[in-house]
Amino acid sequence: MGEYNKEKFVIKGKSISGMESIHRPSLSFWQDAWRRLRKNKAAFIGLCIIVLYALLAIFAPMLSRYGFSSMDTSAMHATPSAAHWLGCDATGRDQWVRVWMGARVSLTIGLFSAVINMCVGSVLGGLCGYYGGRLDMIMMRVIDILYGIPSLIITILVMIVLGKGVTCLIVAMCIVGWIGSCRFVRGEVYRLKEQDFVMAAKVLGIPDFIIIVRHIIPNIIGLLVTNLCMAIPGAIFQEAFLSYIGLGIAPPNCSWGILAKEGIQYLRIHPHEIIWPAFFICTTMLALNLLGDGLRDAVDPKLRGTE
Amino acid sequence: MAKYVVKRVIAALLSLLCLITIVFFLVRLMPGDPFTSVKLTKEVAANMKSYYGFDKPLLLQYATYLGNLFQGNFGYSMKYTNKTVNYIIGQTFPFSADLGIRALVLAISFGLVLGIIAARNRGKKLDFICVLIAIIGTSIPDFIMGAVLQYFFGIKWGLLPVAKYLGFEYTILPATALAFYTLTSVSRVMRASMLEVVQQDYIKTARSKGLTDFRITWKHQIRNAITPVMTIMGPTVAAVLTGTFVIESIFAIPGMGKYYVESINNNDYAMILGMTVFYGMFLVTCNLIVDILYGVADPRVRIGKR
Amino acid sequence: MKKKVLATLLCATMAVGLLAGCGAAKKESDSGSDSKEKVFRYAVSTEPTTLDPTKANGIGDNEIQHALTESLVRNTAGDVQPGCAESWDVSDDGLTYTFHLRDGLKWSDGEDLTAADFEYGWKRLLDPETASPYAFIGEYIKNGLDVEQGKKDVDELGVKAVDDQTFEVTLENPTAYWLSLIGSSSQYAPLRQDVVEEYGTDFAATADKNVYSGPFKLTGSENNEYIFEKNENYWNADKINLDKVQLTYVEKPETQLSMYEAGDLDYVQVPSAYVPDYEDKSEKFTNGNVDYCYINHKSDNKALQNKNFRLALNYGINREDYNKLANSSVHNAFNGLVYQGLQANGKTYGEAYKLDSYPLAGDNDKAKEYLEKAMKELGVSKASDISVELTTTDAESSKKIAEVVQSQWTENLGINVDIRQVTYAEIYGEVLPKGDYEIAFGGWGADYDDPYSYLELFKSDAAYNYSQYKNDKVDELLNDAKVQTDAQKRMDELHDAEQEIIDDAAFIPLQSRNIFYMHDERVTGLNFYFCSLNFDWVYADMK
Repeated sequence: MGEYNKEKFVIKGKSISGMESIHRPSLSFWQDAWRRLRKNKAAFIGLCIIVLYALLAIFAPMLSRYGFSSMDTSAMHATPSAAHWLGCDATGRDQWVRVWMGARVSLTIGLFSAVINMCVGSVLGGLCGYYGGRLDMIMMRVIDILYGIPSLIITILVMIVLGKGVTCLIVAMCIVGWIGSCRFVRGEVYRLKEQDFVMAAKVLGIPDFIIIVRHIIPNIIGLLVTNLCMAIPGAIFQEAFLSYIGLGIAPPNCSWGILAKEGIQYLRIHPHEIIWPAFFICTTMLALNLLGDGLRDAVDPKLRGTE
Repeated sequence: MAKYVVKRVIAALLSLLCLITIVFFLVRLMPGDPFTSVKLTKEVAANMKSYYGFDKPLLLQYATYLGNLFQGNFGYSMKYTNKTVNYIIGQTFPFSADLGIRALVLAISFGLVLGIIAARNRGKKLDFICVLIAIIGTSIPDFIMGAVLQYFFGIKWGLLPVAKYLGFEYTILPATALAFYTLTSVSRVMRASMLEVVQQDYIKTARSKGLTDFRITWKHQIRNAITPVMTIMGPTVAAVLTGTFVIESIFAIPGMGKYYVESINNNDYAMILGMTVFYGMFLVTCNLIVDILYGVADPRVRIGKR
Repeated sequence: MKKKVLATLLCATMAVGLLAGCGAAKKESDSGSDSKEKVFRYAVSTEPTTLDPTKANGIGDNEIQHALTESLVRNTAGDVQPGCAESWDVSDDGLTYTFHLRDGLKWSDGEDLTAADFEYGWKRLLDPETASPYAFIGEYIKNGLDVEQGKKDVDELGVKAVDDQTFEVTLENPTAYWLSLIGSSSQYAPLRQDVVEEYGTDFAATADKNVYSGPFKLTGSENNEYIFEKNENYWNADKINLDKVQLTYVEKPETQLSMYEAGDLDYVQVPSAYVPDYEDKSEKFTNGNVDYCYINHKSDNKALQNKNFRLALNYGINREDYNKLANSSVHNAFNGLVYQGLQANGKTYGEAYKLDSYPLAGDNDKAKEYLEKAMKELGVSKASDISVELTTTDAESSKKIAEVVQSQWTENLGINVDIRQVTYAEIYGEVLPKGDYEIAFGGWGADYDDPYSYLELFKSDAAYNYSQYKNDKVDELLNDAKVQTDAQKRMDELHDAEQEIIDDAAFIPLQSRNIFYMHDERVTGLNFYFCSLNFDWVYADMK
């Protein structure tokens, strides 16, 4: 081929500032995540549904002319109509109001217990997984013990000691609930700390704290967020299960679980009483799951900056 | 490896002992006592208490219980007065286990497949469909799922038996209802972990070597992605167990879950203890197996342990 | 390596699944295989707690034993007919019964059934070592209570097998309804000493570990399924039509209904939520259960010790609306204490006596009036300053009942009502016996056909005085009724006691229960009763 010589090349200029400039706008981690979340249509819809439900849960019972516990002999098992948008239950209580009163309870329980479980579990699991050794051994034994006691019995005992109510439910569910995420995080951290980039960081003498914050957390945050979004429905479910076997919150208060339990008896003759609670549980789960997926992609460091 | 396993087993046994102790004293703290019925008189209650040895000091009762337990004897139920807990467990556990295993097999196989399909078609329609199926599974509490399946398939369309557990066709509805929730968590973890793996260098290497897509997925991606799924096996088994409580009562299956819930409501100490210990042994063993398998599957963990 | 692990894991799970499937779930029901065989299939929603007749605890157990055991007499829906005893003499003071057993009585295994079997069975019931939960039902027999408490030896119990065919019983008090009681309570069944002793604590643990004296024998008791087959050795076997009965324990009444509609059952009780939609297809019977709220007369809540306040609570309930809301009108709204269908000297109690009680539709003006008075006496200015706690079990139906009562009191009286939910074990184990409540939802069903069974709960020294109630007039009337020999006068006294309890507003009556049921059109001869047992299929037939 042809000959290369210096004359054929021209120096176009050399600019230090140009070399240092960053090609994409500087965004913090969460700004970037938010940007990508908005681009994900499904996740964004999920977010909207959650916000909508939260708003309805706050305002709908206030704005309705029916009390959530006032009964009406003339409206027993009423089907949806202009007066009762979602119909009435067996004692003529307005379902619309009850659904949103139930949403208050279910969403609160779901959010709080999932977040508390996740935080406690991650911290403990992370410490165990990262430091290992005796701490890990002791923690794992404690966890095995707690894990072996079916959570039901502990939940029941705690509920009996504390009485019925939302706070008691959250406490009861958190007493053993963190174990799952603890085990999960421990496993993940265990796996990560054997990986080369952590080894490298260690060899370079970087303090543990920095390694955890810089290397471990960003790598597991995606899975954590996915798990959190799975944990909220899980908690809502557990509440429903507890209501189903007769534990939960004191009547006449209600949650979606209690509504579903009451409604399921009438599945064959008054289906609207089960359809609505089921619909709202279902759509909430759907929204949370879509949001969880979206968040997972949004906070994944490996996908950072991609379009 | 052997040392690792032995250590694990000893630890598991120790935790079982703690479990028994905790539960033994916890049940005594529950309000009420086992001998309750509308028409129980003081005289009768006193006779029944001494019959079951409740008039002896608590520590002695504990020692006696441990001694019996060591011989594999869980004692007599206090509600079902002439049945031993061993007999009831022996009668009911096969049904629960049968139902649970069917549900687990369904959930794991479909969950893995769904997760893999979803991950391989990430962002496409198929991904969306798989995720949707999975989400529908998570969205419906199993008692609603059970009742709805029973209503449509059993009553409305008359395709499958409504209740009881007498043969293969009887198992379909309860196992499906029970599998749905677990299926979802398996498929979601599998999908997430597949996507995680796809970023790894060895996949890029494999791709650049020109391996077929199928080969990459099967040989490299799946077998690496499966480890996180194994960590959730413990909770999954537990979830299936809890699920059996509800499903068994809807489908009138003579399994163990129903008795467990019932014994708690009846304060049937011997049954609560016996079944908790039994479930505890079961779960501790499951976790032990998962831990060991985890060590086998991921040599780095094992080496790190040494 | 990893792939192998995975593959092995999956294979192992599947293999275990298949094996377990083969092991556990293969037991085809053989009902209907032989068209000539008359098989009756039904379900219950409470599992039998025992198959030992002495230890039978409650209606569910008793219904089973009613078919498996034969006492001296047989009570079929209130009609008392000779059973193992052909005839009997009663002494003039009504205390000593001498029963003459039939010739040729046999157990299901062919052995002879003698008076000694009765003596053994009844002694075992009261022996403290047996620890029968229903031992109190033997307290009618002389020295029964003392034996039960261990104060006297079992041999001092007032029963004696004079010879193989003569059995003598001495009672503590003359008791008019005692024969009807032993005819429907399986705790009074004969037992075979050799069988009981052979199996020890395992006696009657399964169907084959017992022998049977009744019209049916049990041939299967596993996996929540109980199989009864006709007992050919039964003395009256000609009158028994069914060849086989299959009883399944199905916890959810909705599931039972589904099974009935799918043709898997021949008889079903309609779950109360479904009654309005099945009313024209079903029939009903009353099971003698009366539900009400106990008031704890010794609770810390001062308001409940105030008669006017208790009256306000009673007038403040619209029982008709209550019945609609809480029970879909399945039960009867009720304002009394004694079940109306009891026998009262040839008439039913409800026909014989008219109770002067709170109107079923409630009376808000009166309620307010009483509340005003009560507030003055209590020194309270606002109704909302009064709070009561209503304790109920966590069963869905009790919860609904509590919610309705709560909403009515809140609306009609303006007082505060909190609901406390406890488990069934707690309410009968702690809450009621220890008086740890203010108002509690409960109820009562009779063991014998007599108003005393219901009224006893308000007698100050009775074991079941859950209300901690003491009213001298009531005590006096009931004590007198216990020894009164003039039947008419006795019944009047019992009614007066009920009236006094109502006037004093000692409790809050709510409902008297109905059970709706459906059965296959081939089934005939079903009987229903309101004491000890509800459903009696012994003489049923399949056309």
